Amino acid sequence: MFIKIILSYLLGYLRLSIEGYYIERFINICKNNKIIIWNLKRDKDIHLYLNVRISEFKEICDIAKKTRCKIKIKNKKGIPFLLHKYKKRKIFAVFLILVVCSIGLSSNFVWNVDIREENNQKIENIIQDLESAGLKIGMLKSNINTKEIINKIRFQRNDIAWIGIELKGTNAIVKLVKSDKKPDIIDENEYCSIISDKAGVVTKINAQTGTANVKVGDTIKEGDVLINGWMEGKFTGIRYVHAKGEIEAKVWYTKHKKISYHTTQAKETGNKENKYGIKINNFEINFYKKLSKFKIYDTIETENKFKLFSDFYLPISFIKKMNKELEEVQEDYTLEEAKTIGIEELQEELEKEIENKNNIVNKNINTYEQEDGIDVYVTYEVLENIGTNEKIVF
Amino acid sequence: MKKKNIRKIDEILELPKEVCSNVPKIIITGFDEMIIENFKGILEYEEFFVKINTYIGVINVNGYGLRLENMTDDDIKVKGKIESLEIERMLDED
Repeated sequence: MFIKIILSYLLGYLRLSIEGYYIERFINICKNNKIIIWNLKRDKDIHLYLNVRISEFKEICDIAKKTRCKIKIKNKKGIPFLLHKYKKRKIFAVFLILVVCSIGLSSNFVWNVDIREENNQKIENIIQDLESAGLKIGMLKSNINTKEIINKIRFQRNDIAWIGIELKGTNAIVKLVKSDKKPDIIDENEYCSIISDKAGVVTKINAQTGTANVKVGDTIKEGDVLINGWMEGKFTGIRYVHAKGEIEAKVWYTKHKKISYHTTQAKETGNKENKYGIKINNFEINFYKKLSKFKIYDTIETENKFKLFSDFYLPISFIKKMNKELEEVQEDYTLEEAKTIGIEELQEELEKEIENKNNIVNKNINTYEQEDGIDVYVTYEVLENIGTNEKIVF
Repeated sequence: MKKKNIRKIDEILELPKEVCSNVPKIIITGFDEMIIENFKGILEYEEFFVKINTYIGVINVNGYGLRLENMTDDDIKVKGKIESLEIERMLDED
């Protein structure tokens, strides 16, 4: 029934009023000629209201003539009549078509490149690389060959483990997984020796294959050979091997910071100021004219892209600039305060660097007073396994 | 003879009667709506009275505010406050 109503609205129908004495005959003739009429209503003996399709109106007229009935059109409904009404409004129609066309056309372009890195690891310069590989804002979607771009970028960069490009609406989603830097793996069969990668004092050395070059208690620098990749026998002479072994060394981590007694710090006063603008591609239109009324301030810029539906991005974005007023506050420290602050900050920094905190053997803190501040040195002694393989080059 | 044979086949195959013969089917939904399938024509139509001709007799519908909604080739929908329904059998049927 619902579909019938919509169909009849699309095709257009008329509400007629028929006046005559042979109304039953009229209905029966309509039925026999297979004319669909609906919503018949009898009113005051000689009136009959009914609906009929436009295409069948002529036949109805003929029947009415036969049965000597008068026909009056009471109402015209449906899209054909609406279109007829809008025929005169040409500019309206032209602009409607223009808008529909422009939306359809602009949906063929990429208006937004969304880069999603896994675990929020930042990959530098990826946008430039994507642009040079052929994924730019404002490109035709059909011109983008995702496979080719992926191949190009993987060929260019070593720090990407996986890359995927998905075109969704006018949105290009680039998903990236950063790969960890792996040490060069040297084949078991190749000859290599172990060299140190950190400076320290050797506390334990255990050479499984190869000959140890250092003794316990030796101080080593970065790049020193720890285990040589050859073995010497009395009768066999020098034989090259793939060196293996464990070297444990005491490594020092030192950090230095100068804390001055008088510092100026910027603090937020809580006053805020919002400014708005619109950005079309790279062209910016600001809605404000004056400069900020604050003397010292921080600006936080947020950019919202306009979008139709869920993923149809347009190249227009809305910019909101929030200015936060800052105030310079001078803070004075006493000697003791400066010392504790310095030590705490340095310790925190160091502990971030050291992977295994159980191996910390010793902590060493030195402070040197000076005129305007205090120098703080914090040194951690850590036991660590050191040594990396290096190929022997003949 | 022929009619009786067809009727027998229908009974064996359990076909709905209104499909293969001209027997009307009257569906009344509530007291305000009535659908009649397989009707022949309208004999009289007033706001308070509808007389519908079918192949085996005449159906009289009494009520008020009766409207004929949705009239097609072989079914008709009567809407309005229906008060009574009468059936006049055609005498030559049996």
